[in-house]
Amino acid sequence: MIAALVVLPIAAGLALYLVPRSAELTAKWLGVLVAFACFVIAVLGNGQPDESLRWLQRPFTANLHVGLGGLGYWIVLLLALSTCCALVALRIPRQRDFVAQMLLLLGAMSGVFVARDLLVFALFWDLMLIPVFLMLVAWAPRRNTATAWRYLVYNLSGGLALLLATAAYGVVEGSTDVIGLSVGHGATAIGAVWGTWIFAGYAFGFLVKTPVWPFHTWMPDTYADLPPPAVAVVSAVQSKAGLYGFLVVTAPLLPDQMRAATTLMFVLGLVGLVYGALVALVQDDAKRIVAYSSLSHLGLILLAAFSGNPVALAGAAVYIVAHGLFSAGLFIVLGQVEEREETRLLSRLGGLGEIEPKLAGALHIMVLAALGLPGLCGFAGEILILTGLYQAGAVWPTAIALVPIILAAAYMLRLFQHFMHGPPREDIPQRPDLRPVELLALAPLVVAIVLLGVYPGPVANSGVVAGPNAVVSLAIGARR
Amino acid sequence: MPSTLTIPWGNADWNAILPLGVVALTPLLVILADLLLPRSLRRSVVLALAALGLIYAGFLAARGWGHPYSAFGGGFVTGGFTIVFQEIVIAGALFSLLLATHLGRDDQAGGAVALLLWSASGAMLMAGAANLMTIFLGLELLSLALYCLCGLAARPSAREAALKYLILSSTASGFMLYGMALLFGATGSVQLSAFAAPAASPMLFTLGSGLFLIGFVFKLSLAPFHIWTPDVYEGAPLPVTAFMSVVTKAGALAVLARFAYAALPQANAQAILVPLWIVAALSMIVGNVGALAQTDVKRLLAYSGTAQLGYVVAALAGTTSLGLRYAIFYLVAYMFMNLGAFAVVALLSREHEEGSHLSAYAGLGYRQPVLAALMTFFLLALAGLPPTAGFTGKLLILASSVDAGYAWLAVILIVGTAISAYAYLKIVLAMYARGAGAPLQRALHPASALPWLGVAICAIATFVLTFYPLAPSDVLPLVK
Repeated sequence: MIAALVVLPIAAGLALYLVPRSAELTAKWLGVLVAFACFVIAVLGNGQPDESLRWLQRPFTANLHVGLGGLGYWIVLLLALSTCCALVALRIPRQRDFVAQMLLLLGAMSGVFVARDLLVFALFWDLMLIPVFLMLVAWAPRRNTATAWRYLVYNLSGGLALLLATAAYGVVEGSTDVIGLSVGHGATAIGAVWGTWIFAGYAFGFLVKTPVWPFHTWMPDTYADLPPPAVAVVSAVQSKAGLYGFLVVTAPLLPDQMRAATTLMFVLGLVGLVYGALVALVQDDAKRIVAYSSLSHLGLILLAAFSGNPVALAGAAVYIVAHGLFSAGLFIVLGQVEEREETRLLSRLGGLGEIEPKLAGALHIMVLAALGLPGLCGFAGEILILTGLYQAGAVWPTAIALVPIILAAAYMLRLFQHFMHGPPREDIPQRPDLRPVELLALAPLVVAIVLLGVYPGPVANSGVVAGPNAVVSLAIGARR
Repeated sequence: MPSTLTIPWGNADWNAILPLGVVALTPLLVILADLLLPRSLRRSVVLALAALGLIYAGFLAARGWGHPYSAFGGGFVTGGFTIVFQEIVIAGALFSLLLATHLGRDDQAGGAVALLLWSASGAMLMAGAANLMTIFLGLELLSLALYCLCGLAARPSAREAALKYLILSSTASGFMLYGMALLFGATGSVQLSAFAAPAASPMLFTLGSGLFLIGFVFKLSLAPFHIWTPDVYEGAPLPVTAFMSVVTKAGALAVLARFAYAALPQANAQAILVPLWIVAALSMIVGNVGALAQTDVKRLLAYSGTAQLGYVVAALAGTTSLGLRYAIFYLVAYMFMNLGAFAVVALLSREHEEGSHLSAYAGLGYRQPVLAALMTFFLLALAGLPPTAGFTGKLLILASSVDAGYAWLAVILIVGTAISAYAYLKIVLAMYARGAGAPLQRALHPASALPWLGVAICAIATFVLTFYPLAPSDVLPLVK
């Protein structure tokens, strides 16, 4: 059942190539159906027993072990939901091939979040590169493939470091079937020398993937060049894989190394937090504004992940899902703007609110969620993280982290203002407002944004947030 | 003395070499068929006869599993190790036959196939060779047939390839023979098993083993002895290149492994072998860097072969039994992914032009989606990305190097892999990028059913081996 979350989309994605190329609508709705099926399977599969098959016996034990629970469950839900929404309003050349790649991406990313074995985790970690690379190649604007290479070089380096760390962990520990265990609870502590190197390998992979300053340079180009439905899913979920990794892999299994790296990670997170916000303030390309705002927001989650404070960790869980929801929404809406106006530059747009009120409304909700308006999901995550950081005694980092949150209001409102307010520009095409199907694509995201904003409890309590084992329980509930 | 007048070998001795005897005698039937049959039937009958002979030999070899025997006074040893390598040789030869639908002119086919089989029998002899004379016999049988095959194609580069291979390979044989003479001088024996005792003159022994290893490093085209490979691969006909890339390597690797594991004195074995690990490390870097600049797939696969064999030899570092098993596993995985790529090249070939130039791949993803997808799969495998046997194989090598205390080799392997991704994915990019202008319309080769069979088998094997890494367990000891 849980394995179906991986197998179904991948099989469907490959099978989609059997559909004739011209049957674009069929392909799209099949894709939506599969993504929705994944959502249903995830809901039904939460708390079901794990599924496991023997993979390797030597040189260490590794199992094809998958399970669903804790933070992973919410991210899988987010993944299925954002894929579903991204596909509903899809209009793109060579649509069948695109839907197929999106389904392959869905399957590969589900694999990362249901993996209960480090080797399975590493396998899907590398696998999820490939559809994104192919999409960057085949749908590159202006046939520019440099972005694809940059994406690949960065992320594959991270993936290979992670693979080497996994191999070393397996040799030292004797088994990689350890996600959901923690030191003292089924897993043993890795000694200082090996532990440091293994942690370095994992941390490099996670930092590049998130991305965290200074490993972020692949990200703005990738987000700008990927087609909007793909970037919605990639920014919503793939960028969370690194943070999920810190919370679920390194925190429980390498706690000493996590503690030792706290200062470094706080510095990286804070620099990214401030730098991302400042750069977002001056960008002209709307997609890049959202990309740099992600850099800023994800820096905040990194602080929470390394604070070790239960409240901050609960906040990290909420904010991971929240950021996924509103960044998916933002990129989908920006895609809709670009489809209508053939540009997404702030300097070229204005006054769309008069012509396209529904579009303006949709963008408004996403922008407010992103800048942390109370009652929407962004606020719930931010306030928990800031409270937790303060409780953990990190007063200065908390104070610094407040500044970009104010800046977030500035750059997000600037984006909205340039797009929607002011006199309508004469030199842009006048296109009809959102179609019903496009509203349908956004409705589930809006509902989820409000729901998570007023009732973050289930996500925040996805682990029993108390005691020394807090991180593990956050990871997967309890290992079954 | 009457004992010198009788042949001291019994049935068991002849049984031990029966499989390679079958492979060596089948060419006689092949030549006879070539002589007697009408031209229209020749190629198919010849190919069928050769395939039957190889399959029968494979069956005979497999029957010996679990009955190790030291034949001809220790000159030829059968056992798990020998059988595994013989089967690899047979499989490699069979796959090459699948690509041989346009090997030479019709009136050359019989001779070419006969030479191919003789060459394979040489490699099978090397697989079990346990004294210096059998080793040399096998090597020359393998090489002499290949010199002729390399020059088969009717183009100037073929003659260059044949001559280059002849001269450089003979030089390497010269080094090796000199090394053998020194080894004999140092130990007073040609038996590998006798070398394990401390030599009378350790200095002489070290020098001899160094020269001996150089010969085999050349045959494996490991850096810095790989310079001949790209030119020879490019000039030789495609089936011969495919054959060389697997069968020659398997034969040479068998001898190398047997020598490294069983023929060195315990006391200083690791010291003698250090240069070999350095050569492996160099190959992983040089091979992959060299592959970056190639625009011809055959040349690219030549450089790739250097790197891939570097991975295999790295698995032997520390001469652990696990390392040997993983080296064999990776060699098998390499055989499938590499021959799969060659089969795709064969499918893209036309009468007078091999489909190996990068331009033949431009836009292939839109003209031949299935073929392009399969090529992508093989290239991902060669790059060590999931879900392929290349991924699992690399992981096992990483683990065994770390386990054996050669973590630096694991790090170099990771660096090499990162570089190689660029080389392999360049072809993927060409296949899926939307090039300027209408793509070249290329029909597939008419006689293309057989390469398709090769592609299918290789693809299935490459996928299945990912999750069932069947590393043979019963491979040691290597000499009796």
